[in-house]
Amino acid sequence: MILQSETPLPDTLANLLGLGGFGVAGEFVASFIAAFIVGNVMLAMTGVAGPWAKRKITAKFTDRIAANRIGPAGIGTIPADAVRLLAKELIVPEGADRPAWDIAPLIVAGSAMLGFAVIPMGSGIQVADPEVGLAYVFAVASIASLGMVMAGYASNNKYSMLGALRAVAQNLAYEIPLVITGVSVVLFTGSLRMSEIVAAQQETLISLGGVAIPSWFVFVNPFAFVLFLAANIAEVGRNPFDIPEAPTEIVAGFQTEYSSVYFVLLYLGEFLHIFLGGAITAVLFLGGAAGPGPESIGFLWFVVKIWAFFLFTQWLRSAAPRLRIDQLIEVGWKGMLELSFLNLVLTALIVGVVV
Amino acid sequence: MSSERELFRTDDTQVQTETRDARMTGQGDRFNSKLREVFGSSPFILTKFDKFMNWVRGSSMFMLQFGIACCSIEMMHTYAVKHDLDRFHAGVPRASPRQADVMIVPGTIVSKFAPRMKRVYDQMPEPKFVVGMGSCTISGGPFQEGYNVVKGAEEVIPVDIHVPGCPPRPEALVYGVAKLQERIANGEASPVTVKPYELEQFGDLEQDEIVDELASEIDEEDLVMRYNWADSP
Amino acid sequence: MSSLQEGEETPEIESGETELEALLDDLIVDRDDHENAPAFVIRPDTVQETLGRLKEEAGYDHLSLVTAEEYPDRYESIYHLKKFDDPTDEVSIVVPTDAENPVSESAEPVFRTADWHEREAYDLVGIDYDDHPDLRRILLPETWQGHPMGRDYDQNRPQMVPLREHANPLEDDHRSESDSDTMFVNIGPHHPATHGVLHLETTLDGEQVVDVEPDIGYLHRNEEQMAQQSTYRYQIMPYPDRWDYISAGLLNEWAYARAAEDLADIEVPEYAQIIRTMGAELCRIAAHMLAVGTFALDIYGDFTAIFMYAIRDREKAQNILEDLTGQRLMFNYFRLGGVVWDLPEPREEFFEKVRSFTEELPELLEEYHDLITGNEILQMRTVGTGVLPEEVAKNYGATGPVARGSGIDYDIRRDDPYGYYDELDWEVPVEDGCDNFSRLLVRMREVEESAKIIEQCVDLLEDWPEEERNIQANVPRTLRPDDDTEIYRTVEGAKGELGVYIRADGTEKPARFKIRSPCFSNLQTLPEMSNGEYIPDMIAALGSLDIVLGEVDR
Repeated sequence: MILQSETPLPDTLANLLGLGGFGVAGEFVASFIAAFIVGNVMLAMTGVAGPWAKRKITAKFTDRIAANRIGPAGIGTIPADAVRLLAKELIVPEGADRPAWDIAPLIVAGSAMLGFAVIPMGSGIQVADPEVGLAYVFAVASIASLGMVMAGYASNNKYSMLGALRAVAQNLAYEIPLVITGVSVVLFTGSLRMSEIVAAQQETLISLGGVAIPSWFVFVNPFAFVLFLAANIAEVGRNPFDIPEAPTEIVAGFQTEYSSVYFVLLYLGEFLHIFLGGAITAVLFLGGAAGPGPESIGFLWFVVKIWAFFLFTQWLRSAAPRLRIDQLIEVGWKGMLELSFLNLVLTALIVGVVV
Repeated sequence: MSSERELFRTDDTQVQTETRDARMTGQGDRFNSKLREVFGSSPFILTKFDKFMNWVRGSSMFMLQFGIACCSIEMMHTYAVKHDLDRFHAGVPRASPRQADVMIVPGTIVSKFAPRMKRVYDQMPEPKFVVGMGSCTISGGPFQEGYNVVKGAEEVIPVDIHVPGCPPRPEALVYGVAKLQERIANGEASPVTVKPYELEQFGDLEQDEIVDELASEIDEEDLVMRYNWADSP
Repeated sequence: MSSLQEGEETPEIESGETELEALLDDLIVDRDDHENAPAFVIRPDTVQETLGRLKEEAGYDHLSLVTAEEYPDRYESIYHLKKFDDPTDEVSIVVPTDAENPVSESAEPVFRTADWHEREAYDLVGIDYDDHPDLRRILLPETWQGHPMGRDYDQNRPQMVPLREHANPLEDDHRSESDSDTMFVNIGPHHPATHGVLHLETTLDGEQVVDVEPDIGYLHRNEEQMAQQSTYRYQIMPYPDRWDYISAGLLNEWAYARAAEDLADIEVPEYAQIIRTMGAELCRIAAHMLAVGTFALDIYGDFTAIFMYAIRDREKAQNILEDLTGQRLMFNYFRLGGVVWDLPEPREEFFEKVRSFTEELPELLEEYHDLITGNEILQMRTVGTGVLPEEVAKNYGATGPVARGSGIDYDIRRDDPYGYYDELDWEVPVEDGCDNFSRLLVRMREVEESAKIIEQCVDLLEDWPEEERNIQANVPRTLRPDDDTEIYRTVEGAKGELGVYIRADGTEKPARFKIRSPCFSNLQTLPEMSNGEYIPDMIAALGSLDIVLGEVDR
């Protein structure tokens, strides 16, 4: 049973539009269209999540109603918020380090977008499927730290500076456990290719009373899943690890000085990173786009899974206290790192002996 | 003491009317429509566009997370469970002024704080709006006669909506915000004018007794706010 | 210097007085007794010796307040001393200084808390303190001209306030002498964690706080001047509501009412006392709810569930208070000699409402304990951080939940009873962890105790015979306390010992009205708690102090 389409989206499009005959140019156009589609789908989702879903979810956790005046359940706030924020005055603080200050938001948002290129989203939506897919996605996702440092450093603001330094320290501490835990999954699949990781999770693990439980790695290795989830939340900087922003301590961290379009980019970038984190979790542990029903609705299952991750981050935001920076680093280096290596070694032993 | 008083105008009829004049004159285009500058007049498409932009700005706003005094307690209640200002698409508090549209001034402004508030207001990007909450932001309220109290937020920054009360109930603040949204949607906003208490460079001030006294303490480049208490309305 | 007022002093205290006189024999110049305590006049250069003796040998370890005032012929600093073990055992030290050259010795080496109190006296009245470590203006901007609580201050004089830019973050900063790798950060006056308009001048070494210095005065709105311009009978009462504005209105009003009633010998009817007690404890619940909510806000970092739930439960208390007083926040409900009106009709409905609130309170608190104190991350963050040892707390004159979180068993309601508290059955919660967590626990346990008090009050009020419901004593329309009588009285406010000093001059307005703000003293302990800790711990410590800038700055 192979749910995942083996052909990446650009090839499908090239065939569909008859671009195959144009050689490299045709491939280029097809890739461009594919990237455009995927990019817009993800942007649309963050557009829903940022100004609206986040508020509604938080409101539900805190016994409130939140936006409900424009459109059903206040959904009309999305275009209003977007246009308003984009139309605001862009203030460049005095003493800002100009090119770096302008590029930083692009990097933060762009790095997440790049990550989506290799995610198999089901229903044949995958822009590229390189052999080193997993390594690639971790690599581009962590470029965001660079953007945060640039933003913080270039803003000429002490709070931004502190936020940037915190972001680096945090990402350094959690990147390694994250990748190591990801590698424990690769031990099972024997491949870094995203589609193969998904494909490896399609077999039935165990049948309980007629219900087939697939061999998603969350069921195969729940310990790794928990580790990965924690590291992932730290990686995307959500509560209880939202230390780079920490509104009550350092105002808004690295994004303190940004307004208007750049703020939108940073804000979008954050949500894109949450969704990317969700997407990686889904691919590695939750069977990618797999779910009941025909293969063609795989994308819906994928969306459900990444939204579930988003919901989880918002739940934590409402309920979990923030760690202190030194405690966070301690948990990262002294706890998560050891546990992730332990997990790796154990997995290697099990895979070597059992499989 | 009477001889000293001559130095400063304390008689109401002699008081400079800069405050009032400043409010009457001076128009700033709060909405910064660059297109309009280019076209000069207002063609149909631009009026429709403006209307849309006004609707957008009136429909959704981020608030500055800003507390001063008693009113900020009622402001918290307005944001929170029972009154839930976010129902009006106006309940996202942002800690950084760069990302806020509306500043609710919740309390008494005193001499030491006014320059800071002015600075925070300046840090907000246009178009920005101010809701003055409570009597203190109208006139100084119960503390009007104090030696240290600025007689209303209008002395320092332009205010779009005044919500009276000491403190106003959360319902009143909700009403004030709703009214502000209505005004913005209709394209009305208080013009940005020169306020009587501005931040100026110390070196630019006219020489008088107090400037001389402080010359040793304040650098020429330092920004200062000068309070002419006798001039306050 | 003043007419000796023969009060209701018990012989026991009088014998204490003779001992004190013996102890300070060579230092005392004169007597100038106050309504509440014996007062000894000393020379301005013997302040440290006098206070030192009183602290070390007579056990007066609590410098409650320093009052400064200007007379036509002299300046006067009054040190109001108490004992943490027994706050009814008071003594005042009066230090007159020369009108031309007002220099007095600082009490700072004896009591740390005198630091800020004397700075305030210098700022507002203009007395110079010799040997003071850092005599600068505290409430007014540093460039202010004149001393506004002095006698011939011209309020119409123009003033100038500078706004100084701070240095580039990437430049070297050499504020700390030992280490050049420090960074100076201004936290506030507009900052999400400062609970209003507080400015913390913070020197950081990386993420660690090397030194923090609170800069206050951003909400100094002349409460004392306002009271001095108002009449005792009606005009002063609305102002106390605005000192500690976090719904602690009735507690503050009681501070003024207690001082003024004792000054004018007004006996408050028992029935009114019970209503006062009930209202005050409702205020305490509302105030502590917000303290817990904002503390959670500081730790959690966003407007999270706990903050919202705290506000939700505050709403309930506020609704009851609104039924009782007609206002949500600024109650103006007390009158000298009683309260303004009786309980709202129908009484049964009101009692029902109060009861249902107090009955569901334990359940609500259980929810808070699940969410806050039972949370392991929160414990990681708060246990053992922001430590304020007992001796340090005493030295700084910390009171209220801050003192009780440091193991100081001190509560004016029990130790110097007023109202109906001594007739009721309740406890003073004390925790000896001295850290942020203990202060949080104390507040949450105090809410429970307040609920107990309210329940007992409701029972009493319900059974009170209809014909004896006297809410107001006979008080003359215009109140003119005797000339040159002085009184200092404290009550237990939401944040600690809230006191009022009044000097009457025979007119219908006080000649000097001084407020002892618990937050003012408590906030002074912040550097002790946070130097050497991380920024988030400093923020948490500040949250656990639960300051209200309206009361700090007055």
